[in-house]
Amino acid sequence: MSQLVVLKDVTKVYQAGITGALSGVSLTIENGEFTAIMGPSGSGKSTLLNLIAGVDRPTSGSVAVGGADLGTLGETALARFRRDHIGFVFQFFYLLPNLTALENVLIPAQLKGKVVAGRAEALLDELGIADVSDRYPARLSGGQQQRVAMARALINRPTLLLADEPTGALDTHSGDQVLELLRELNRDGQTILLVTHDAKIATRYAARIISVVDGKIVDDARLESPDRAASEVIRVRVAEMSS
Amino acid sequence: MSAVIVKAMSDLRRRRLQVVVIFVTTLLAVATGTMALTLLSQTNDPFQIAFAAQRGAHLRVTFDGRTDPGTLAGTPSLVGAAAFGGPYRATPIQFQYRGHKYAAAAVGRDEPGGEVGQLVLVAGRWPVGDDEIAVTRSFADLSHVSVGETLKVVSVADAPVLTVAGEVIDIDQVRADISAQRAWVRTSAIDRLTATGGGYYLMNYRFASDPTSAQLSTAVETLRAALPPGSITGSINYLLVRSIFNVVNQVLIGILVAFSIFALVATVAIVANLVTGIVISAYREIGIMKAIGFTPLQVALVFVLQILVPAAAACLFGIPGGTILSQPLLASSSDALGLPYHATFSVLLDLVALGGALLIVTLAALLPALRAGRLKPAVVIANAAAPRGRSGRWIRRLASGLGLPRPLVLGVGDAVARPLRATLTAVAVFLGVATIVIALGETRHFADIYPYEAHVGPVDVVVSKSAVLTDPEAMRLFEAQPETERVVAETITNIVVPGIADPIPSVMYRGDSAALGYLVTTGRWFNGPGEVVAPKGLLRDAHLQVGDTFIASFRGTTVPLRLVGVVYDFAGGPGGHELMLDSSTVVPALADLSPSTYFVTLKAGSNVALYVDRVAAAQPDQLEVQANTSGPTQLGMVSAVLLAIAAVIALMAVGGVFNTLLLNAREGARDIATLKALGMSPRQLIAMVATSAAFLALVGGVLAVPAGVQLDHVLLDLVSAFGGNDTPPSFYAALASWELIAILLAGVAVAMLAALIPGRWAARTNVVEVLRAE
Amino acid sequence: MSLKYGVLGLLKEEPLHGYEVKNRFEGMLGGTWEVNVGQIYTTLQRLERDGLVRPVGARGDRGKQTYELSPEGRKALDQWLGEPESGPQQLREDIYVKLLLAARIANGDLRGMLARQKRSYLQRLRDLNRVEERARRDGRVDLARLVRGALLHTEADLKWIDELASERFGTEGKETK
Repeated sequence: MSQLVVLKDVTKVYQAGITGALSGVSLTIENGEFTAIMGPSGSGKSTLLNLIAGVDRPTSGSVAVGGADLGTLGETALARFRRDHIGFVFQFFYLLPNLTALENVLIPAQLKGKVVAGRAEALLDELGIADVSDRYPARLSGGQQQRVAMARALINRPTLLLADEPTGALDTHSGDQVLELLRELNRDGQTILLVTHDAKIATRYAARIISVVDGKIVDDARLESPDRAASEVIRVRVAEMSS
Repeated sequence: MSAVIVKAMSDLRRRRLQVVVIFVTTLLAVATGTMALTLLSQTNDPFQIAFAAQRGAHLRVTFDGRTDPGTLAGTPSLVGAAAFGGPYRATPIQFQYRGHKYAAAAVGRDEPGGEVGQLVLVAGRWPVGDDEIAVTRSFADLSHVSVGETLKVVSVADAPVLTVAGEVIDIDQVRADISAQRAWVRTSAIDRLTATGGGYYLMNYRFASDPTSAQLSTAVETLRAALPPGSITGSINYLLVRSIFNVVNQVLIGILVAFSIFALVATVAIVANLVTGIVISAYREIGIMKAIGFTPLQVALVFVLQILVPAAAACLFGIPGGTILSQPLLASSSDALGLPYHATFSVLLDLVALGGALLIVTLAALLPALRAGRLKPAVVIANAAAPRGRSGRWIRRLASGLGLPRPLVLGVGDAVARPLRATLTAVAVFLGVATIVIALGETRHFADIYPYEAHVGPVDVVVSKSAVLTDPEAMRLFEAQPETERVVAETITNIVVPGIADPIPSVMYRGDSAALGYLVTTGRWFNGPGEVVAPKGLLRDAHLQVGDTFIASFRGTTVPLRLVGVVYDFAGGPGGHELMLDSSTVVPALADLSPSTYFVTLKAGSNVALYVDRVAAAQPDQLEVQANTSGPTQLGMVSAVLLAIAAVIALMAVGGVFNTLLLNAREGARDIATLKALGMSPRQLIAMVATSAAFLALVGGVLAVPAGVQLDHVLLDLVSAFGGNDTPPSFYAALASWELIAILLAGVAVAMLAALIPGRWAARTNVVEVLRAE
Repeated sequence: MSLKYGVLGLLKEEPLHGYEVKNRFEGMLGGTWEVNVGQIYTTLQRLERDGLVRPVGARGDRGKQTYELSPEGRKALDQWLGEPESGPQQLREDIYVKLLLAARIANGDLRGMLARQKRSYLQRLRDLNRVEERARRDGRVDLARLVRGALLHTEADLKWIDELASERFGTEGKETK
């Protein structure tokens, strides 16, 4: 199927005073796309992410992921849906502090009752952190923790990978590493939804940028990717000496 | 300083649930502690006060009816008594009131006062006519007789009727139960009430200062030497009376103190747990407080105050509550002895209890609070959540090795992630389960002892006979009934054993007494004349061993006896001085001693009620016939108190578990939200929390059950020892294995129930809010 | 960029002739500059006239004449390097005036203009990103750094657009004044 995520006229209202509501949002995301969602804080972009992940329910409208209407699913079914189809990467990693890196990665599979130690180790290896699989999160750097989180997000081969400001808590170098990994995954076919406030990051990795302001989608830009020379995009003006 | 108070109060208002937990646990602990302390401090006093006020008799001796009263009057100077009462003429009587038969000792006495053994009139007046009688207040309470009503004396042929003129309190009374009562009539009225050969004399002696047990024994020996052999038929001294009075209280107090200590430890564990939890959940706040400018001491004070305020409020209710609760117990023990009851408590004691409770709570809160004070602000703000320990790793490995599903494995790991908190919670569970085991065990033991003593089971009908009806007449009646299978006749008398000053109450059985079901811990039951069994206490005090022969004296004649077994019995009172033997041993010497009680066993399938009615109808005046079922026990109150306290401590344990789960859930809100986002269903989340609870309960319970059983044995040994007995092995097992396992599983189940609320809270976590609110 | 100090700076590294200077610039700026070689020769001459550079070796033809820094030239360069760029911010693009006017004029499709401009910036960001990536891949550190500067400037302009939009159109999307 090519249309992976379909939102129809989705509205989410919170109690008065809490920002993040959405009103009348319709949106389609294709399989294999790398989409960035941008917007100021309180615009509703996190709410959008949570609705797509089935972590929250819309007040009205429908959310369908992989052909399944999330509105028809009960709490337990939604949990299973998240477990099987969604990979989540958060800004603050949210690893379970009492488990080693490897154990953290295995959790989503174990919730299904599956034993996938081999795949977990392979993922850690791919992400360059095989040597710390036995360590606890407190002993890992931010970049390492986020990569563990990515491995955890990928263990069940999710249909959709959701990243909410994944580099927000990382230094530039680690952040770049993480984003490069996302790009590689997308090249291999993973559909990715990236929430970020940083336009530089959004335009670097995603060809489609959705802008959310005050609960509405104000722009949905599919950017082009021609190969341009430097001189086409920058002009340095030089002042000549006075004679 | 005001900043500290303002912060502490605002925290109090926010953390309402924890305030309630602290209040309730402190309240329970303080109430039981105060109750125990009050009882402990008061017990000895009422008796001493009453004894001195009523000039009680240090020594009371009964003499054979043939002794010369003149000689008796000279005995006080022989033993150096400063004051004496008597000689009083006395006789055992049996009388009837409202369809019930009672036995008492009637004493001829013309005035209630005197130098020794003053009787305090509490209702009516002293008898003035020969047809009047005064009874003790305890008897009046137990039988519901009041002044002005009449009693029919059935132990003499012409059955005189006596009117109750007044009620008195007798400090020298040995036991307040129905079986050992005395009543008073005019000296001129005694003859009419005395059955042939039944009269005897009674002397009360009082010394200038309280004599020791040795001095009392010497006094009795002096009397024995000075009078014709066989003159002394019995003696009681005030030490014995006091110790009997104290027995029940001492058992009760001992148990109460033990349980209060349990409750206190549980409170400490719960409070420490609570404060540690509060501190951890407030880590970020602490950092901010210190950054604003709170000194470490002030930070610690904020936490201590939060705990002290509800604890102090709990003391305000708990200490008066505990004092008030102790009064009925004090009253019942005083009443049991017919002593006047004064409401006694000491304000000083209450203040000590208050100070002690607050001190303990403060100390329990202080350690974690001080740790909070010492934390560095930068570290703390950066590390919003405290780093958790690794100790769960091998447990998790074990659990997943056992093939448990992942949510359960995570739950188990969660339970031990903070070792200190897990330990404190397990301690609370341990205490709760152990006290339940002990309370149930002791209650069972008490419930077992009475039927054992009353021979419920082996004996279907118990018949009490008055002296008027002869033994052969009674036996003929029994044998005339077709259902009668077996009759064992019991006669009680006194026998003097070498080495023991007071004559020993002895039970003589005629018939198949072995079938009565007494437990013999060493040796065997007696087979024929000359053989005796006795409780351990008598062996110890008389320096006897199984197999020994000794020369006892009965009514002046010597009787050689051989000790063949150690019997488990409480009728010998504290010290366990009693003998059991076959009547044939002394039959030649006592033609006039008739059995007073018959234990009848019916053929299988007989209708007991019909039998009882028939026999009672045949001899309404001379026999009291009852079906042998066990009734409420005297120690019922002790059981009730035990169970109540055990329930209290168990409740505290549940509170402790609940509190731990709540803390874990709150702290782990982020992890729970993460797991929910990763795809853990609500049911799995609840299972995770429930497993945490079940694990802690299991650990605490598995340790508590054997510990509780052991402590129960210890307590039973105490109770047996008071009766001068060693506990027979078969008595130990109060609770069957399946019952113990059931208690353990019940504890786990309750813990899992307690987990439901935190579990549902976890399952309902709003992932969005939690994960975004950083 | 001031050509004068750029040339002086390059000459501080080592003496160069005009064509070499041009190549050095090319390497640093990757064709994004707007100077031709003639302007460089003129600059060198003027610098020599002002005593800031002096020729090295025999005076040959213009293209082959090597120059080096004079002590005065070194001093002037150090002074220039030492001074922070003060003076007014140079806002060279029309967009500032355009949007200010549009915001002021009651008619005019301000919302649409803002959206279109934002689109344009996004595309530019994407292009700049790709150029930077290629520069890094090719090891052209100076160019990558330059592009990075351009990225940040563009991002700043983008943020200005966002601010205009939210200030003008408020939180409900309704126009405010």
